Amino acid sequence: MNTTKHWPKRALILSRVLSRAFFSNTSTSASPSPTFPLKHVTRSNFDSALVELRSHVRAADFVAIDLEMTGVTSAPWRESFEFDRFDIRYLKVKDSAEKFAVIQFGVCPFRWDSLKQSFIAHPHNFFVFPRQEIPLDGPSNEFLCQTTSMDFLAKYQFDFNACIHEGVSYLSRGQEDEARRRLKSLYKEQLTNSSHNLRETMDVPLVRVADVLFTERMKKRLSEWRDELLQNRSRGPQDQGASNDLNQQFQTVFFKMRPALSLNGFTSHQLSLIRMVTRKHFKDLVYVRFNGESSSQEFVVFTDSESDKDRLVEEVKNEHYRRAETMIHAAVGFRHVIDLLSSENKLIVGHNCILDIAHIHSKFLGPLPLTAEEFVSCVNKYFPNIIDTKILLNADNILQQRMKKSSTSLSSAFSLLCPEIAHGFESKVQSSQPCVKVEVHVDEMRSPDWNSGAKHEAGYDAFMTGCVFAQVCSHLGIDFQLYSTSENLVQNEKLQKHMNLLYLSWINGDVIDLRTGSRTAEFLGSNILRKRFPRILYENIVLIWGFPSKLKPSVIRECICKTLGPTSVISIYRMDQTAVFVQFSKAELVSDFLILKESLERSDDAISVLHPLSQLLEGGNTRAASYETYKDICESPVSELLFADQAEAVGIKWKTKLLPSDVVESQEDNHFHLENALDHTPETVEKSKIRKTEDVVNDSSNKQLTCDEIIDTLLKVEKIRRTSNL
Amino acid sequence: MVALIPRRLFCTKISRNCHQHQLQWSVKQVTKSNFNDSLHDFHSHLSSSDFVAVSLQNTGSFSAPWHRLSSFDCPETTYLKARRAADRFQLLQFAVCPFTISGSKVTAHPYNFHLFPRDELNIGMPSYSFSCQTSYLTAMAQQGFDFNACIYDGISYLSRAQELVAKVRMGNPIAIHHVMKPSSTPPSVADTIFVERVKSRVKHWKKACADSSSRKTDEALVKSLRKLVLGGEQYGSRPCMTIDVCSERQVQLVLEMLGEFSDDLVALKIPTKGGGTQAVRVVLTSSKEDKSLFERQLQNVEEEQNKKIRGFREVIDLISASQKPVVSHNSLNDFSVIHSKFIGPLPLNMDEFLCSLRLVFPHVFDVNHLMKEIGPLENVTNIPAAISYLKNRFFAPIDMEISHGALLNEGKIHGQTVLRICHLFAKLCSVLRITPGAIQSSDDNITSLLDGYANSFKSCSGSSQESVDGGIRIWTKSPRKVGCKHLVFLWGFRDSLSAGMLKSLLQGSHDVFSEEFDVCLVDKSCAIVVFLQPNLSQAFLDIMSSEGISGSLRELVSEGLRAAGYETYKRACGLGYWEADLASSLDKASATPDCFSQSGSETNPSEVFWCNDLMINLGDL
Repeated sequence: MNTTKHWPKRALILSRVLSRAFFSNTSTSASPSPTFPLKHVTRSNFDSALVELRSHVRAADFVAIDLEMTGVTSAPWRESFEFDRFDIRYLKVKDSAEKFAVIQFGVCPFRWDSLKQSFIAHPHNFFVFPRQEIPLDGPSNEFLCQTTSMDFLAKYQFDFNACIHEGVSYLSRGQEDEARRRLKSLYKEQLTNSSHNLRETMDVPLVRVADVLFTERMKKRLSEWRDELLQNRSRGPQDQGASNDLNQQFQTVFFKMRPALSLNGFTSHQLSLIRMVTRKHFKDLVYVRFNGESSSQEFVVFTDSESDKDRLVEEVKNEHYRRAETMIHAAVGFRHVIDLLSSENKLIVGHNCILDIAHIHSKFLGPLPLTAEEFVSCVNKYFPNIIDTKILLNADNILQQRMKKSSTSLSSAFSLLCPEIAHGFESKVQSSQPCVKVEVHVDEMRSPDWNSGAKHEAGYDAFMTGCVFAQVCSHLGIDFQLYSTSENLVQNEKLQKHMNLLYLSWINGDVIDLRTGSRTAEFLGSNILRKRFPRILYENIVLIWGFPSKLKPSVIRECICKTLGPTSVISIYRMDQTAVFVQFSKAELVSDFLILKESLERSDDAISVLHPLSQLLEGGNTRAASYETYKDICESPVSELLFADQAEAVGIKWKTKLLPSDVVESQEDNHFHLENALDHTPETVEKSKIRKTEDVVNDSSNKQLTCDEIIDTLLKVEKIRRTSNL
Repeated sequence: MVALIPRRLFCTKISRNCHQHQLQWSVKQVTKSNFNDSLHDFHSHLSSSDFVAVSLQNTGSFSAPWHRLSSFDCPETTYLKARRAADRFQLLQFAVCPFTISGSKVTAHPYNFHLFPRDELNIGMPSYSFSCQTSYLTAMAQQGFDFNACIYDGISYLSRAQELVAKVRMGNPIAIHHVMKPSSTPPSVADTIFVERVKSRVKHWKKACADSSSRKTDEALVKSLRKLVLGGEQYGSRPCMTIDVCSERQVQLVLEMLGEFSDDLVALKIPTKGGGTQAVRVVLTSSKEDKSLFERQLQNVEEEQNKKIRGFREVIDLISASQKPVVSHNSLNDFSVIHSKFIGPLPLNMDEFLCSLRLVFPHVFDVNHLMKEIGPLENVTNIPAAISYLKNRFFAPIDMEISHGALLNEGKIHGQTVLRICHLFAKLCSVLRITPGAIQSSDDNITSLLDGYANSFKSCSGSSQESVDGGIRIWTKSPRKVGCKHLVFLWGFRDSLSAGMLKSLLQGSHDVFSEEFDVCLVDKSCAIVVFLQPNLSQAFLDIMSSEGISGSLRELVSEGLRAAGYETYKRACGLGYWEADLASSLDKASATPDCFSQSGSETNPSEVFWCNDLMINLGDL
């Protein structure tokens, strides 16, 4: 959500944005200045950075995180809508986390220094790229890029080269287990099947004359070499040169403290012949293939005895195993950071971070579960303490008032709450509230008023999030002097009530509790300020798609009203150019509509042609179903651009899906508070943008929404526009 | 500076790996900033050349092992796989090289265009999102690809189909250049009334405009009131008025009526979102000179805008308009990408695709196909290998002359492949004794000779050339032809079963396996059984679906073994069931009733080459 959540951008001095610090390792040796770049971590300095980060995280009071991804929504209709039910919101988050890649991961540990009366922050910016470092089963590694998101990142000078060339790779826990299992079974196989393998290689028939000659030659060479060794052993080392004369292809070396011949410049076929000769004719020689760092090398090793031979084979095997294990350990890569955060049990701070957490789950823990409840319980196990600064900002009345004129986007909250850090000067407005001091340490450099200004860089965004959190804590009256350890901070009752709450969808203010999985539509303290959108009754909703594209929602409404009565339709919400949600005033109208549509499609007489609904059914591709079908379609891993195509790709062949009869009976609900706010018929790109905004403003005249709500909604409209371009 | 450090490292790596003579070639790199200038150069180079070679760099080509092109694919499934890849992945570099062959000398003008599907017009086009295959990006990175240059400065584009949509969606007024012919149908009463009403409105408005221009003393309030009453607006500096219309018929009527006024009025159509016309805007010009000036202005604006909309597609349009033969290495893949990105959505089947493509590119040469002419080369699929093969076997020295030779520096290494294609093509022409240099002088013979090779896509070829080599066992290197109907797809067996194990399992399970047959794995979930005796495949399928299945085969089936014929595979591709495992796709396809594959498959019984090269090494995946 990072690429969108800080929208609209607030006044941060433009030059700062432009003078974004470029990645360069050499610059760390430059003299300290307030604008030194944050710590960029790539493949080359990952290991050392991890060691440092380990100690910083251990000492930290909390750790702020932030992610940059290659995109947010895989299709316009996958964006957040007001008509999305709780479970569907999760499905949309899941889809996004599964399809897009994380390319930057910001980690910023904050530690309170009671001597300096200031926080010490260590912003780290990890470039991450899912390179496939060790072979694994399963589908090839692939991820989606949303064009607008990539363009957005490019506008902020994101360094794609650093990411793809030098990004740190990773394995999820599942992948690591799989790789280890594979290695183990391979190892076991080798142990048990060694005799079997032996027989197999013996069976290589010597058909070609060349092979026979080559084998004979090799046999001679090897026996000469061995005889010489034995002679040398009895006589003591005298003429070293003799063995070197043999051939450039053979070189006498020592392998595991034993004399050996290293074989160079043979083809694989020749090597297999040598291997066979060794096995067949020499009891005291062992053919060994040794996998080095990058290449492998073949040896013929001399052993003293049968037991020495076994020992050698065992040694080589163990070394291979160890090496493979180190490779897996190295391939785990960036996940070590996640494991660190999880094992240290620190308070994790994010800003509007449900999508970030979902990405962490899907990339580093394992596949995302099907339901939000399972997801939440799993996340809670790994990260028992997560706090979302967006929740904090919106939950507190005084903060709300302070933020009144601005959005709760990260950058605007940062520049409002931490003006000293954001702009480098004391804000006059906020004089009543002392600013929490944050000192930044990057490697050897430290600065009490650091600001790299590199917005939308994960490391810097994490830093901003942490600063905002520290400021809010101080505002809530938390004395860091008392709560200087992480556990105490977590236990703080003022924070407790906001702990582990995340916005499942910011648009509707749907909040999910990570501890219980329960969903709170409202959250503590904010009832007065934020009124929710009118309640949407999902059982009253029909989904219609595939109608002629020229039909506007107002025409659809007219069609339906003509048949089911002028008050039958409460609202129409346009999903994209091929699909709408229609909310009826009564639940039974849903089944009435579906039955009517179905019967009209079955009959082909003149009456059905004249029927008012026929305009909607024109073209014969109009489909309709209840809200549940929407969920089925959202669950699909496919993402077609248009909803109608998506439904087809999911495999929907029917035209109308009737409701099971018993559902209709039970639903009788006459409480609607839904205003007609959602019915707009965008005609052109520009118009739709304006009208969406207008609708929101008009609503405010109904005294339905507070000022903040309007801003939120405007923000949302902006955001939708930016990500969808529709 | 950020990018340069790692990039330099990679560049040096490349120079060590590549052959000496290939490295010296320099390719003009084109991004957003120098696109317009380069386009001009390119146009002149194109018109002075005989051929155009193209080579593409995509972000990926398959999302699961079985989506890769295998030798058991028939033309239809080959196309469907190419189509899937073209739709999913993004094109990041397009190297184009107009070249001329005269004797042993090739004069080439290579350009490498960096592309990025940026949404310049804010209308969600050319692409909402695209897929990237990690291994592709990693490989590109190893070759020193500059992703920043591509994403920051890549040239955007719209396909022909998208351009139409974009123009409508932007709703810009369209100038009507020529007055339409008077309508044949006699005007109805309603028409007459409409025309009269509009006529009087226009008359009044024109008069008022003339008045106001002479009378400059009007107060602002009066001015704005007049504007309100008359519906007059400004178009630039010129007054104009908007006439709402309800149908195309009314547009016609308005235009005809305006024709009577034609002295100083210019009409513009205001399109609706649906593609129709919403209104006609009439602009008043002050004189005949002013009118032509205004018309020229409109034209310039439109051209400017079209250029902006088309972006890189201008290059494609130039190549297409030049009608020059296009040389490519992997033509089906390349042209399915070109079609989907620059022409329009790919059609559902290969024939339609070829028809549509031929309209844009009438002559396409596939060097891969030309290589086949030489004979035993069909396994040489990469260009350097083919070049060195030809070098060792034939004396055909080719002298490459590159137009941008003077500009050589280390940043210019991208897009070398296109030059290798030129080189290879020239060599092949020389070896095959085709003299394309004479193409202009005596069009008839030479082109027809080359036409024999043109437009034969790699996948369609191969049916006529090689005869069935009966004596060769399937597991040897030599391919043999096997009818698609002899292939049976098997899935639902235990994981981590090798082809050999599966074969030995099957061998004793039923009588059909007593004759010679072979097994290979497509991916880890699915295998192909090849029956070498006719009718056995059908017999096997019948047994699998019959009640009387017995013995160890019954055991296997109860463990979940399933089988389907080639048609099911085709259907899975046709219906777009691109699951990660072929097994799940076949499951889905066999659950879907057969309503798809009635047309093409019966008429031309497909044959595929069966050779063990198609064996996918599971270790590679």
